Amino acid sequence: LQEIIGVCDNSQLLFVSNLISPKLKIDFLKALPIEISLHILGFIDNPKTLSRAACVSTFWNSLLKDESTWKRLCNRHQFRRRNSSITGGSLMGPPARRLNFSYRDYFKRRYNIESSWAHGGKVKTFYDSSDSGLVTSLQFDDEVIVVGCDNHKIEVFDVNTGARIRTLEGHEGGVWALQFKGGETFDKERLLVSGGCDRDVRVWNLTTGRIRHVLRGHTSTVRCLKMKDKKLAVTGSRDMTLRVWDLERGVLKHVLVGHQASVRCLDIHGDLVVSGSYDSTARVWDMNTGQCLHVLQGHYSQIYAIAFDGDKIVTGSLDSNIRVWSPTTGQCLATLHGHTSLVGQLQMQGSTLVSGGSDGVLRVWDMDSYECMHRLAAHDNSVTCLQFDDKRMISGGNDGRVKLWDIKTGQLIRCFTQPAKTIWRLAFNDTKSVVIMQRMGGQNRDEGKTVMELHDFDSGEMCE
Amino acid sequence: MTTKVTLTSSDNENFSVNKEITKRSILIKNMLEDVGKSDTPIPLPNVNSKVLRKVIEWCEYHCMDPLAPTNENTENQKQNTDIEDWDQKFIEVDQETLFKIILATNYLNIKPLLDIGCKTITNMIKGKSPEEIYKTFNIVNNFTPKEEAQIRKENKWAEDQ
Repeated sequence: LQEIIGVCDNSQLLFVSNLISPKLKIDFLKALPIEISLHILGFIDNPKTLSRAACVSTFWNSLLKDESTWKRLCNRHQFRRRNSSITGGSLMGPPARRLNFSYRDYFKRRYNIESSWAHGGKVKTFYDSSDSGLVTSLQFDDEVIVVGCDNHKIEVFDVNTGARIRTLEGHEGGVWALQFKGGETFDKERLLVSGGCDRDVRVWNLTTGRIRHVLRGHTSTVRCLKMKDKKLAVTGSRDMTLRVWDLERGVLKHVLVGHQASVRCLDIHGDLVVSGSYDSTARVWDMNTGQCLHVLQGHYSQIYAIAFDGDKIVTGSLDSNIRVWSPTTGQCLATLHGHTSLVGQLQMQGSTLVSGGSDGVLRVWDMDSYECMHRLAAHDNSVTCLQFDDKRMISGGNDGRVKLWDIKTGQLIRCFTQPAKTIWRLAFNDTKSVVIMQRMGGQNRDEGKTVMELHDFDSGEMCE
Repeated sequence: MTTKVTLTSSDNENFSVNKEITKRSILIKNMLEDVGKSDTPIPLPNVNSKVLRKVIEWCEYHCMDPLAPTNENTENQKQNTDIEDWDQKFIEVDQETLFKIILATNYLNIKPLLDIGCKTITNMIKGKSPEEIYKTFNIVNNFTPKEEAQIRKENKWAEDQ
């Protein structure tokens, strides 16, 4: 052989080399024992590489149907069940328990959802014919969207089609606060509690649309409310009191008296109620006894927002500060400076707090160190609404913009909608987002109208 | 004080190596524990001398590395395909040798070296189009045109993202 090669010229050698070199190549994935081939695929964390490999040959294709590779990829991309938004439940439950479950399909779906979030999902826009005007409250879950309006009405929409299911009429003034519970697999029936300018608290069966109770007692506008469960709710009013209601029997349990001005916001955890008032104080109450446990004094001006996770109470005030309090001792643990105007929006989850101010700024705080992790100059005007989960954050402002942020890095991912006049309310869960806004004025027929945008990131279609 | 162990390759070549070094191979380590103190050479009928020399070279260079815990949980471990410089040079071999090294380390149960071999193949696949993969591994596309169109459509989702 050596002799033959010895007498060959270069072009002949090249010919031989081209003939031989492919023969020295090996289809590793096919030739190696299957467990090693799968081990090789296990080092790939880019789905693009995997999906391209699936197109190589019938053998590679069958190898790439192996579930363990995709399961590992799911883990690597943290596509596990996560407790997402406050409004909606997790739409994609624990995979392992479902029959015919495929990690590959699951990964594909989750990957497409993530991508839709980043690039834009399917958007449906709904105009309200009977112009609802100012929208004060919004909550949605896997089936329904509930919207509270200043025009005395509560509208219920189908979350999938956007079609109006019903209008709840009964309030004789603007609706300012609402919340519903139920709608889970084990507890189908939804119960809605609403309150507003007419001072009445109404309890509705959301499934049938029937009113269950009209709870009377407040002597001024009901400004805020929270349901503990389907049995108990707490309302806060401009009449300076909070009231604890038995929703089953429809009776008042306690009147929480002590605030010297309007109660603007409240939150509950376990048996504790915390309330923020225009009298510049916050209070901690026991909802079983109706007793005031602590008066939290420190703010120089009205309190507009409050959040409570059982461990810490956070308040946002017109004095442009945020204060952190201990619910057990009532002491102020920290004052978070930075905002230059009213702090009207707060959400706390895990060790993360996000605040939104009338200065148009969003601030992401680490609640262990009380440091400001990100300062986001988000809006030209007040932040009117915000929500975040462990991945992302959406904010809406009086500048009519909606922005999507990466909560970890603080980077802007994209602007969400066409600029509007103002953003009333927004909410999102794993796969959907609802934005209610007032359209821009102009020559357009729809000028100044209130519209609802439904963003679906799990349409099953690829975004273009 | 170093004890020597003799390893015999499939083509009957003897390699005298430090006992410490052979502990990198779970297979040999277990064999030595079973046999106890013995001067009998350990036969490795699945590994030829060329590959065994390569594997010993790797073990000698890495003799100071901490031994990997036996019950390591690779599932949650963050894996990446970075390979250290020395190992990268070490593994730059023809495909035939790479193939045999992988089989040998799998047989000898030397996890870190097996991983290096596997990562090397992963890196050969990464970022390549199917056409480039055919060339790299001399694979013949055995889909029918209809199948191929279907499969490509099915796997389009991860592209351009």
